[in-house]
Parts: sequence; C-alpha cells; structure tokens
Amino acid sequence: MPTVDDIKLYFFHHHHYIDVRENSDVKSTWVVPPGDLYDPKKGHELYKRHLRTIKLADQLDFDGICINEHHNTVYSMTPATSLMGAVIATNTVNTPKIMVAGVPINLTSPNRLAEEYGMLDVMSGGRMEYAFPLGTGMEYWSNSGAVNPTRGRAQFRESVDILLKAWQADGPIRYEGDFYNYRFLNPWPKPFQKPYPKLFVVGSGSLETVELAIDYDLGYSIVFIPIPAQIRAFERMREVAEERGKTVDPDDLIIVVICYVADTDEEAIREARPHIETFFSWFHRVPPKFLLPPGYVSTSEFLRRASDPALAHGTEASWDDMVAIGRIACGSPQTVADTITTWCEEAGVGRVNVVLELGDMPEWKTVKNMNMFANEVMPRIRARGKEATVTETRELVGVD
Amino acid sequence: MAAFTEEHVDVNGIDTAVFTAGEGDPLVFLAGAGTAPGFDGLLPLADQFRLILPHHSGFGSSADDTSITRIEDYVLHYLDLFDVLALDEVSIVGHSIGATMAAWLAIYDPRRVRRLVLAAPYGLRVPEHPTIDFFSLNDDEIAGYLANDMSVYSHYPNPPTPEFLALLYREGTSFARIGWERNYDLKLHKWLHRLTMPTLLLWGTADRLIPSEQASAWAELIPEAEVRTVPDAGHLLFNESQEAVSAVADFVGAEVAV
Repeated sequence: MPTVDDIKLYFFHHHHYIDVRENSDVKSTWVVPPGDLYDPKKGHELYKRHLRTIKLADQLDFDGICINEHHNTVYSMTPATSLMGAVIATNTVNTPKIMVAGVPINLTSPNRLAEEYGMLDVMSGGRMEYAFPLGTGMEYWSNSGAVNPTRGRAQFRESVDILLKAWQADGPIRYEGDFYNYRFLNPWPKPFQKPYPKLFVVGSGSLETVELAIDYDLGYSIVFIPIPAQIRAFERMREVAEERGKTVDPDDLIIVVICYVADTDEEAIREARPHIETFFSWFHRVPPKFLLPPGYVSTSEFLRRASDPALAHGTEASWDDMVAIGRIACGSPQTVADTITTWCEEAGVGRVNVVLELGDMPEWKTVKNMNMFANEVMPRIRARGKEATVTETRELVGVD
Repeated sequence: MAAFTEEHVDVNGIDTAVFTAGEGDPLVFLAGAGTAPGFDGLLPLADQFRLILPHHSGFGSSADDTSITRIEDYVLHYLDLFDVLALDEVSIVGHSIGATMAAWLAIYDPRRVRRLVLAAPYGLRVPEHPTIDFFSLNDDEIAGYLANDMSVYSHYPNPPTPEFLALLYREGTSFARIGWERNYDLKLHKWLHRLTMPTLLLWGTADRLIPSEQASAWAELIPEAEVRTVPDAGHLLFNESQEAVSAVADFVGAEVAV
C-alpha cells in the first residue's frame, strides 16, 4: 500500500432537481419519472442556486470542483455535463481544477467528445480533468437507441481508445474499429494540457473497467458502493498494474464521501440525516431492472448481486445500514477530518470527491456545511497529524 | 410418451445442446427467447417425426457466443448445425424469435425447407398491431404478457431463486444482443416472397406480446401461407395448448399423409 502524502479535496455537486416532494406513487425517479414533475421555472431558479453554490465553492480553497452527468432523473439537472463544465470554467477563478466526470463516452460520438473536451480545456486555460463513466445501467435505458448494453463495455473501450489517439496524434488520422470508422479523425481544438488532461475511469470496480484504466494509464474513480467493495476494487487495480509492470499512485484514485459538518457529532447527524435518507429513498429510487439492463454485467456478476441482500434491497436501507456500508462522514470537524483521513489511508487514495449538498437540503445548510468543511475540516486533513491551523474564526462566506 | 435425449454438438466452436425425440422425417423446432417454460409439451410430435430441438447459443444448455449480434448469425449457425447433423431437407417450426430465424433461414436457403411453421413470429413491423416491446415491460408484467394460462409457470421457483433470476438474465442478455435496438426487422418484409414452401402461420388469439392480428400482414407477403389461430392461447401457445401442437403435426404431416 503506497503512503498517502497528499489528500486532494474536490467539491462534488450533483445538481439535483430538488423541488419535488417525495411521492410514493412514483416507483422510479430514474428513467421513467413522470415528466410533469419537472417545472422549468423551478428548474431555472435551481440552476441559479447551483451556480451560487459553485461560486461559493470557488472561494473556499477546494483543490477542485467536480460535476457529473445522468439522464431522465430528478437526481440530476445535468444531462449535458460539458455545458455545465463550460459554465463553471468561466465562472470560477480560484479553484485549480475542474473535473467533468463526465459524458458516458459510448453514448456520444468519441470524436465529438474529443472536440468538446479539448475545447473546454482550452477555454479553461488547462484547468480541466475528465473522468469517463461506463454509465449507470439507467443511462442505457434512457439512451436505449444509442448503445446496446450487451456491447456497452466494448464500445466504451473503443471510444476511449479513439479519443486518446485523436488527442495524441497530429491528425488527420484514420481509425477503423468495431463500432466506429473515422476517415478523418482530427479534433480541433486539441487540449491545452499536453499530452492531455488527467483522466480517470468512473466505475464500480468490475475487472473490465479496472483493466481499461491500467491499459490506458487512467486513474479510477469509484462510485458509491459499499466500502469493502471499494477497497477490493483498489486492491484489484494495484494487482493488475503490478502484473503489467505499472504502478498506481494515490493521486490516481478517487473516493466519494457524503459529508456534513457541525459543531458536534449529534448536531451534524440531526441536521443531515433527513436529507441523506431522502437521497437514498427518493433521489436514488431505482428498480433492479433499471440498475442492470441485459448484458450490462456478466451472468455471474448478476448472480452475485442477486444473492446479496444488501445489494438487492439498496433503496430500502436503514440509516445504520447506510452509514455502515457507505462513506458517510457526519460529525464534528475533528470526527469528519479523522474519518476522511482514515479512509484515504486505508484505501491508499489521494483524492476525495466531497458531497456537501445532498438530497433536499436547504441552501442555508449547504452554505453552512461548505463553510464548516472549508474552515475547519480541510486544514485538519491537510495538516495530517501536524499542528493544524484551523481558521475557526474565519468569517462565514455567504452568497450574494 | 417419448422423452428428449440431450446431446452436445460442436458447431464451429460453439458447444450446442441438441434435444431429440422420436423417429421419422426431421422436424426442427427453433424456440423463442427463453428456455424456462420448457419444451415437454412438444413431445407428442415425436410420435410422428424425428423432433430436433437445439438450444440457441446463449440459451439453456448451449454455450454463449458473444459474437452473435444479428439474427443472420443464428441463421448461419443453424445452417452449420444442419451440415453437422447431415440434415439436407427439413421441416422447421419456429416460435417467436425462433420463427424469425426460421423465416430468414428459409429465405436464404428455401430449397432446404420442406414445410415451414411460423408460430407467433416476431420481427415484422406492423404499425397497426405493434409487437409489445419486451424490454420495456416491468418485471412483474412479463408473465402476463407471455401467457394467457398462468399455470404454465407452475414449475417456476416461487419466490424466484437468485439462480433462476440469473438464468433469465442470461437469456435476456442473449436476446438483447440481437434484439435490443428494435423489436422489428427492417428488411424482413422485403424478402418474405422467397418463402415458396408450404407455410403455416400459427397464432394464439390471446397473444398479448405479438398480436394475432399480425397474421394477415405476414400472409400477404408469403406466397402460400395458411393461417390458423388457436383460441385463448397466449404467446407461449405450445405450453398452453395441445391444439397448437396438433396443428403443427397436421400441417407438417399433411404431405406424408397424401
């Protein structure tokens, strides 16, 4: 296990569509949520709120800001994450890195994504990082016409191959693949950073995505799966790397942490718990069918998941289950700092995507939580055992 | 009554399970996209014919072949199997997606097919009576769309075991390899005129998945098609109705009787 010298903390934002009350008649908030639940006027106000949140994050010394993409769901108002990436790139000045994590590359044209991501990197002056998600099972239902889930992984791999070749070659080049045939592959513009920005795969630890990451020298960003499964995935990644004479640096690995900070552990849990429960019970209400479209996983992997009660009943998990299996750090600044530091050291991970706004959390809690995290947790994590300079007296940074 | 004998045949590298029963003229049965309902209801056909029932690659006891991505790959796979089994001329019964395979096989190689039964065939685009999209159905709706007589599921484990769900997932995956994009074939209508052999279109009147009203659309495109419907049978007509099985025997055996 490599030593974790430096922990980078990225502000991670989901852009939930939060102004819908939980409704037991809605069996799934993904793929098939009733379209009339969406009110564009509320949506407009929410985009403004989300931008306020991003601008606040830009004032709080995060190492980066990270956003992602989902489709047909109240979970996300960012089905076109490059668009949001452009907004963030042009509305932030302090944050060193912006990670778009990202467009499912097999659901778009890899050539177009090479152009889009190249453009963003040039616009941002080389501040971009990208992570390629295989896409949840739900994306394959929402984009059924775009890709067959039985070939999703193969198409994903070829798409990454195309994008990397297109970025590195002095084009035009020809590409003759199983899924794409490019006569004149020649993206314009190419990335600002050379040879290209830091890249990751987003996955749940399957051997296919782990091998892809090692083969193409990409980092790995693990999704919100039980902690032991995350640890196993990273171990598998180091093993595959070693077999191929490569190494995995802590800076190549990302975990996601749901986090809420208050003066005491009790206050933190009291303020955060209802929103985290709503996150799982409403924003992540997904029937098994949508999680696993045909061929999205192998039959043996399907059997493993169908045999695991914790996986089979994910959306009915209790609070204790959630805290036990997931990376949820709620507590005082010291508790949260210690928890995150321990998780990073246990997993050999140097990057954390910190989720500070979750579910139907009101804006005041988000602002308070972000400030507490930035002022009192970040210094403790960065000091790592040394005397922390905690800016407890620092003025609370608010919104316009 | 006869029972099936299982043998395994190497077809161009694919381990293919072939179930046979009875003696006589060869009658090949190409099944729909699932083996769970079972095939014992077909055994009366073994009284008259050498009944040959292969499991499609990716289904039941046959091995997976991820390179099968089009219906035509199955057609060529079965032409290979016929060569391995030294079957020059056969009658074919195809059910559901197996009927699409049977139709295309007979389009490509009509001289090899003596008589053809297309039972609740999948794949023709009939906008007035569209095929229900199997992949869009909720898990708890599927059984009711497939069968009118729910007793056909009496041998299913209840509640379903993880292993049983995995079997369904595997076969759903194999079906998705060839059928995810759309539930109709864009070219089938253009070539059905090549089905010059005697052809029976057989349909349950209570088929909720592929409506029996599609039969006339098929019949208009096939030169010598006879249509027969089975009252009250759903999509799993051979599991639900012995009349459906008898209809096959009558039609395929007619020539012998003459």
